[in-house]
Amino acid sequence: MSRLRTGLLVVLGLLWLAPIYLLVVNAAKPVDGYDADSVWKPDGFALFANFGDAWSKAALGDTLMATTLYSVVAPVLAVLIGAAAGYAIVVLRLRRGFLWFVFIFGGTIFPLQMVLMPLFSGYASSGLYDTRVGMVIVYTAISVPFSAFVMRNFFTGIARSVFEAAVVDGGGLFRIFRSIYLPMAGSALAAIFILQATFVWNDLLLGLTLSQSESVRPIMPALTGLQSTYGGASLPTVLAGGLLVSLPTVILFLAAQRFFSRGLALGQF
Amino acid sequence: MRRVGGSSRTGARAAPLFGLPAAGVVALLLYLPFLWTTYVSFTQYDGLASPVWAGLANYQAMFSDPDLIGALLNTLLWVVGMVTLPVVLGLLVAVLTYGHRWGSWLRLPFLLPYAISGVAVGVIWGFVLQPDGALGQALGFLGLPGAHTGWLQSGPGNTLMMIVAVTWQAAGVNALLFVVGLQSIPNEPLEAARLDGADGFRLFRHQLWPQLRPITTVVVGLSIVGSLKTFDVVWVMTQGGPGTSSETLALSMYKETFVLNDYGQGAAIALFLSLVTFAASILYLRYQLGDAREQA
Repeated sequence: MSRLRTGLLVVLGLLWLAPIYLLVVNAAKPVDGYDADSVWKPDGFALFANFGDAWSKAALGDTLMATTLYSVVAPVLAVLIGAAAGYAIVVLRLRRGFLWFVFIFGGTIFPLQMVLMPLFSGYASSGLYDTRVGMVIVYTAISVPFSAFVMRNFFTGIARSVFEAAVVDGGGLFRIFRSIYLPMAGSALAAIFILQATFVWNDLLLGLTLSQSESVRPIMPALTGLQSTYGGASLPTVLAGGLLVSLPTVILFLAAQRFFSRGLALGQF
Repeated sequence: MRRVGGSSRTGARAAPLFGLPAAGVVALLLYLPFLWTTYVSFTQYDGLASPVWAGLANYQAMFSDPDLIGALLNTLLWVVGMVTLPVVLGLLVAVLTYGHRWGSWLRLPFLLPYAISGVAVGVIWGFVLQPDGALGQALGFLGLPGAHTGWLQSGPGNTLMMIVAVTWQAAGVNALLFVVGLQSIPNEPLEAARLDGADGFRLFRHQLWPQLRPITTVVVGLSIVGSLKTFDVVWVMTQGGPGTSSETLALSMYKETFVLNDYGQGAAIALFLSLVTFAASILYLRYQLGDAREQA
């Protein structure tokens, strides 16, 4: 029974790894003399040359810079804004706190499709369309509800006496937030940051809708451009591009698996 | 003590200042657009002239325009596909790896695709499913039929193949959720049943499955919500084509709005998707908000 179980898992696992094997092997093949009829056989190693091609041909270099900016700044802002909301609701006992919470968390319930068109119109008329600031703002807004949700739960677990002692010590409310509550929440803040950074990095729809120039467009729409016409790029280049943009999130995932499983249980992704 | 009481009142008075940024950003960038889309869905609007009231015309079109009916059926196919394939496979992987000595290692191949974006999944599977591509060559090598099939070239086969691609990405996540569910099941009744001589399948059917119901509800709820939003993989692999044969409602919404400039039609599709999503979300949000209310 146990051997059957292991055998079944190994076979299924190999089947699951096959597409990744194909991706890596074919992303590494030299563009010259690429043979589309023998994709399963490895043939040469030009992975870094192909990375370079993807970098320059799809202008992935520019867009990688922009995307890195979005995936760092927006989650940081969202974490702080969400933590402040959690602090207000739980620690400062905001009046009708549960209503505030439902209002903020309710922002995640409807699909992105519901906000795309007005965001596009609003961005176009306010000059935010196709700007890096505009992209940071929208990614922050999308990430705030989840952040507030986690932080509210986290602060609920901290004893009331911590706050009372801090007030007796004469700390201002902002200082208590900054130098007592934020430092205590390190692990929760990190979990939110990692999950939201992954979301921003992998986003296609918002980038497609709210940007167009190479220096603003995030990485996923750029990769789509490389793929759809092959944008003057050959197959190994496209696959190398796909591999290149996947590396950061795969590494982050492997390094922080437990955060992901927690985020999953919270129903975010 | 008087100081503490006094400061608590100050706390309550200053509290909205800390809550406002979150509420403000959500109101401005999520709720306000939500209301505008809702209004526009009852109008005829091209994004330039003022919206003209059109009643339910956009909604009627969803159920009379052949392309939109096709997208509706494809979306339904996605929902059915995603609540079966990745859920069943996820459950299988979870049950097989749970309690296994190398469980977390054997689970890794299934989790890896989850860390990859929908766009990259589309790039990989677009390559695998090319006519005479990786899948065709493997079938040919094994002497199986179908080596020269154009997997993505006609509906509904193309939608089915893309469901397979997303199953590849999503099964591991479901497995992880089911493992969390399995971990919360007390061990004693299982041991007792095992001592009574219950074999693997009977153990699963009568002991594990009933106790996995709450987590199954969450997994199915998440699968429905996710499948309704299907966009990235389809956008990369077929752009909804050939023609509109693999279009989903999420894709139709994008095309109606940003390609055809029929904002009213796009908005109606968006609102329809939202309502169905909301209904499905209640399935698992009940658990989440239920927890939150207890803590409040």
